[in-house]
Amino acid sequence: MNTKPESQSLAAWVEETREGIDSGRFPARAFNDQAVYDLEQERLFSKTWCFLAHESEIPHPGDYVTRYIGNNNLIVARDEHGEIHASLNMCRHRGNVMCKAEMGNASHFRCSYHGWTYKNSGELVGVPYMKEGYEGRLKRKDWGLVRVRVDSYEGLVFGCLDPEAPPLDEYLGGFQFYLDLYLKHGLGGVEVHGPPDHWIADTDWKICTENFAGDGYHTPVAHQWGFHLGYFPSSGSTHSQGWAVSIPGKGHGIGLGHGPNFPPFGGFPDDLVAEMKQSLSPEQVAVFSRTRTAVGSVFPNLSFLMQPFSLEPGEIGVRFVTMRLYHPVGPGRMEMYSWCLVPKNASQEYKKEAYRAYTLAFGQAGTFEQDDFENWTKVTQAAGMTMVRDVDFPYIMGMDSAPDPEFPGPGHAVVPYVNDTNFRNLWSRWADYLAGEA
Amino acid sequence: MGERPVDRDTVSEIQEFMFREALALDERRFRDWLAMLTDDIRYEAPLRVIREGLAVWDLSPTSRIFDDDRQTLEVRIQRLETDFAWAEQPPSQTRHFVTNVLVDPGDNPDEYKVHSNCFIYRSRGTSPTPSLYSLSRKDVVRRTEDGWRLARRWAAFDQALINAHNLSILI
Ligand code: FES
Ligand SMILES: [Fe+2]
Repeated sequence: MNTKPESQSLAAWVEETREGIDSGRFPARAFNDQAVYDLEQERLFSKTWCFLAHESEIPHPGDYVTRYIGNNNLIVARDEHGEIHASLNMCRHRGNVMCKAEMGNASHFRCSYHGWTYKNSGELVGVPYMKEGYEGRLKRKDWGLVRVRVDSYEGLVFGCLDPEAPPLDEYLGGFQFYLDLYLKHGLGGVEVHGPPDHWIADTDWKICTENFAGDGYHTPVAHQWGFHLGYFPSSGSTHSQGWAVSIPGKGHGIGLGHGPNFPPFGGFPDDLVAEMKQSLSPEQVAVFSRTRTAVGSVFPNLSFLMQPFSLEPGEIGVRFVTMRLYHPVGPGRMEMYSWCLVPKNASQEYKKEAYRAYTLAFGQAGTFEQDDFENWTKVTQAAGMTMVRDVDFPYIMGMDSAPDPEFPGPGHAVVPYVNDTNFRNLWSRWADYLAGEA
Repeated sequence: MGERPVDRDTVSEIQEFMFREALALDERRFRDWLAMLTDDIRYEAPLRVIREGLAVWDLSPTSRIFDDDRQTLEVRIQRLETDFAWAEQPPSQTRHFVTNVLVDPGDNPDEYKVHSNCFIYRSRGTSPTPSLYSLSRKDVVRRTEDGWRLARRWAAFDQALINAHNLSILI
């Protein structure tokens, strides 16, 4: 253990961390530390594009959900013209919370303190005692709810607190190619099966982002029961096969696990496969055809997983998609949101089957999720120990691997699937933000 | 409610069945527990969402925390019987407190609707902070040749943002 002076500043620690990542080291302290958490709030969540909602959660005019970016509670609402807006969930008069529900439908919000009323898009429209009290000095247009920039990709609505940040398209930087593997399941795309499962865990959000950026390494052990009993259509001997793809300089990453004996598009109904071949590009079809499991993270805190699950050991079963958001609420503590996405054009039976497989495997009672969170809370706990402040973890898998020249998609693709390349890219992007150099 | 009252003996038999079912879970006798379920069991925990008071629903019609039947419950139990169910290694200590049991006639003569409150204490490892869950249960029990069986478990958590890292227990 190397000893560092107590007085080492956070800025110096961030610089040292950045250098460490290049040589395949990352400090455990990052996963449970008040100062790191504060810096993330200040420098990262205030600048990145953060996922807010899927459009299908608010399909009708007036529909809204409340979500977070960093510690900021936002109202995400569809206005009467169908356009989606995000506003800070705080009355501009004295700061009362406008909307206390997690979801609902309202054309207007009326503050329960002094009665200011806003359109769901954030414009101030009603002020009691306007004449008598304000005597014409209050201009309604100056006191709307605080607006947050929104943009969307294929139904995913993101928000960004930084007006100067580059547009979402540029931020995603080619990762759209991989998002499509979850979102273009047929010509109708996907929809949420219902509101997200939502729970709180003593886990650092970054552990989840890393795991879902393509940690194929943990699967045969953390989810050994599934392999052991035959419910997971992969075996330990072939599990390492596949691609790890990252978008250099952006932080996004995906693991694409191959299934040597898994049929192309296995687990999807035939009519949907026909549609998928139209909605995806030939390059995407080439990638999809070889992919059994796709597990990816959009920097900083949104992830997706597509995985086959069979209730009959040895069979292909169905493929479900889960989307998850890791909302940090303190050092080593987070709120988890977990959705199941289903193809809009699939039959009710298929949606039901996919959802049943999803709840058995994911969500707080899911048999895979349970084990992940058990491990992740223990990692978080350990990261908070004082001796751990100077301990690094190795991130040296695939240090020298050259990108696969045959790979048809964008980004940096390496083999095998069991790899740290995506994580080095993720952590160096994270460190860029913490250094204020993103 | 109140179409035909359920006789005292039936009520007390059902109440005892509910208590024995809870005991099987707390003593981790999962095979005994499975044997207390009908083959067509529906086992569901709807997702609670915080809504305005006048909203049409606050328990999601489509989202479930548990969405199980006999086949998937068997998978859950099989899993707990392996050495690799890390979430329950070492096992949670649970205690199901089942109270306010009310029995009403069911949709067919052998079945009864059972409303109960269930409070679950769960502690994990050396953590001094237990998870506490309060649930409203609307179950269906069926009288069979082999005795009482649970035909439906419907349990709604009294919390939308659940305060536990996972739900590796049964409710
Ligand atoms: S705080 Fe909202 S009207 Fe006064
Ligand atoms: Fe996992």
